Amino acid sequence: MDPAGKAQRKSKGGLAIVKRRFVAGVTVPLLLYESLGIFVLGWAFVLIFFDYSSGRLGGPILGLGGSNPFIGLGNFVEMITGTSVEANLFRVSLRNTLIFAVAILPLNLAITLPLAWLLESIGIRFKSLYRTIYFLPVLTSSVGVALIWMSMYDPQAGWINAIIRFFGGTPVSWLSDPRAGFAGVSVAMWAVILAYLWQDYGYNMVIFIAAFQGIPQELKDAALIDGASPWHVFLKITIPLIRPTMLFVCVMTMLSSFQVFDIIQVMTNGDPGNQTQVLMLDIYKNAFRYQNLGWAAAESFVLFLIVMGVTIFQMRVLRTDWEY
Amino acid sequence: MAANSLPVTAARTRKPVHWGKLFSRFLLYFALTLGLSFTLLPFLMMILSSFKTNVEVLRVPPTFWPETFTLENYVKIFNDPKLPLLRFYGNSAFVAVFNVVSTLFTSSLIGYMFAKFEFPGKKILFGWFLTMMMIPGQITMIPSYLILAKLHLINSLWGLVIFSAVDAFGIFMLRQFCETLPNELLDAARIDGASEWQIYLRIVLPQLGAPLATLGILGFMQTWNAYLWPMIVLQKIEVRTLPIILTWFNSTHTGQGALVMAATVMIIMPILFVFLFFQRWIVQGFTMTGFK
Repeated sequence: MDPAGKAQRKSKGGLAIVKRRFVAGVTVPLLLYESLGIFVLGWAFVLIFFDYSSGRLGGPILGLGGSNPFIGLGNFVEMITGTSVEANLFRVSLRNTLIFAVAILPLNLAITLPLAWLLESIGIRFKSLYRTIYFLPVLTSSVGVALIWMSMYDPQAGWINAIIRFFGGTPVSWLSDPRAGFAGVSVAMWAVILAYLWQDYGYNMVIFIAAFQGIPQELKDAALIDGASPWHVFLKITIPLIRPTMLFVCVMTMLSSFQVFDIIQVMTNGDPGNQTQVLMLDIYKNAFRYQNLGWAAAESFVLFLIVMGVTIFQMRVLRTDWEY
Repeated sequence: MAANSLPVTAARTRKPVHWGKLFSRFLLYFALTLGLSFTLLPFLMMILSSFKTNVEVLRVPPTFWPETFTLENYVKIFNDPKLPLLRFYGNSAFVAVFNVVSTLFTSSLIGYMFAKFEFPGKKILFGWFLTMMMIPGQITMIPSYLILAKLHLINSLWGLVIFSAVDAFGIFMLRQFCETLPNELLDAARIDGASEWQIYLRIVLPQLGAPLATLGILGFMQTWNAYLWPMIVLQKIEVRTLPIILTWFNSTHTGQGALVMAATVMIIMPILFVFLFFQRWIVQGFTMTGFK
């Protein structure tokens, strides 16, 4: 009895050691790897206070100082008050990014919410077929999406102008006419907005479909029996009950549209006349074409602050505490 | 639905309502078909154009169905010595597979550790991962590039994948799944003399099949379609992944619309077939995780 008890006690202490060894075996490499992450973040933060270019040699530590001087908040002061080409372009990009994001969200909801709701009332087999098809563009490489839409926007042989000609309208140079506009926004911007919507809306569709399925049927039936019209059920029961989903969808759609890059870079690269130049594109060009990395880092910091601010704002406005 | 079970007389008295219903039914399918065409027509245009000649795609007004149906574009793409397609598929596959395998391994291991082990500093470390989840890639893009340049890893596929071996989101998701594993199961294995690593490999991992599949497929899709970061890191043509090759191909073949569309088909179709095959997990995964 006694030796067995001893062995058990021993193995218990041994177990703690074994567990600790396992935790150490995982966390030590992890911490080393994460210290790289912290270093990267720290570097990103330091860069915003410098006039840094990878083309210049600079000081001994990370090339900071010397010919890459410390300028404090100089980058941000320049962004707000500066008259240089970069500062102007930054403000144009910021404005375009806001236009893009503010246009995308309501357009996306105006398509996805009614369509997902309509899908509620058809059979399950059809529903999953529709869902599959709506999801295809989400999975398509954005370069592919951009090329497909470029061929449709082609001023001569594109389908969109062919349809316009068929109805007797005048064809438009969708991606290159700097003067044409609609509702105060250039047609090139509308063109990339439409392409982006096409790629993106299936994602929200799938999420809304799942949310609608999660609403208990009894709630809707009860309201219908009490004499409510389907429209009222939608407004007074369905919409309030999917508020958490709405919050999620709004935040995600806003976040990704503020960071739009791929489609615009391929379709217009900011043209015509910087009318589709968005912040990510400006950051990319400054950092990797003009080697103006301190400025680009400061720009990404601004974008980060905007994204954080929008997220927090939407969480405040759309937050709900109750469940069903 | 309910109307079917009503007696005939009731159906007759309801006739005016019936027409309204029929009309709303018509509107319903009309709206759905409209949405469907909006989604599918661009794909159809792409596929049809890829079978046209480069002269025909320039015609005004455009032809819908290819007048002269030709495979010439596909033949050209496969035989172009400047476009070793297999190599680019290989590059993309390497990056995607490496990324998936490494993040599945680290996410499951670290998630398991956070769920089932107590150690000092656990809360701080987990809080750090949550913070990392919120920080978008554009913030770290510039210093990451500078580090790769210092390490001479520009133009290296290893350089591309090095920063994505640990995925904060995957850790977060798998921690939640690991918390549901019964402790008795793990303790029973310990009593039977299994080492902690054996428990992870033989007992924990097999239980995580469904979330790992979801996470893996989503990660694969995301890496396969990634554009900005690969474009920054991979500057030489022969190391590029498919999306960057596609833009390069487009810019070097202006005026050959049909050829470019054929290349687009070649590059986006494989992933769509993967989707049709793994559909259930992917849709489930997207809605479950909100991963994009």
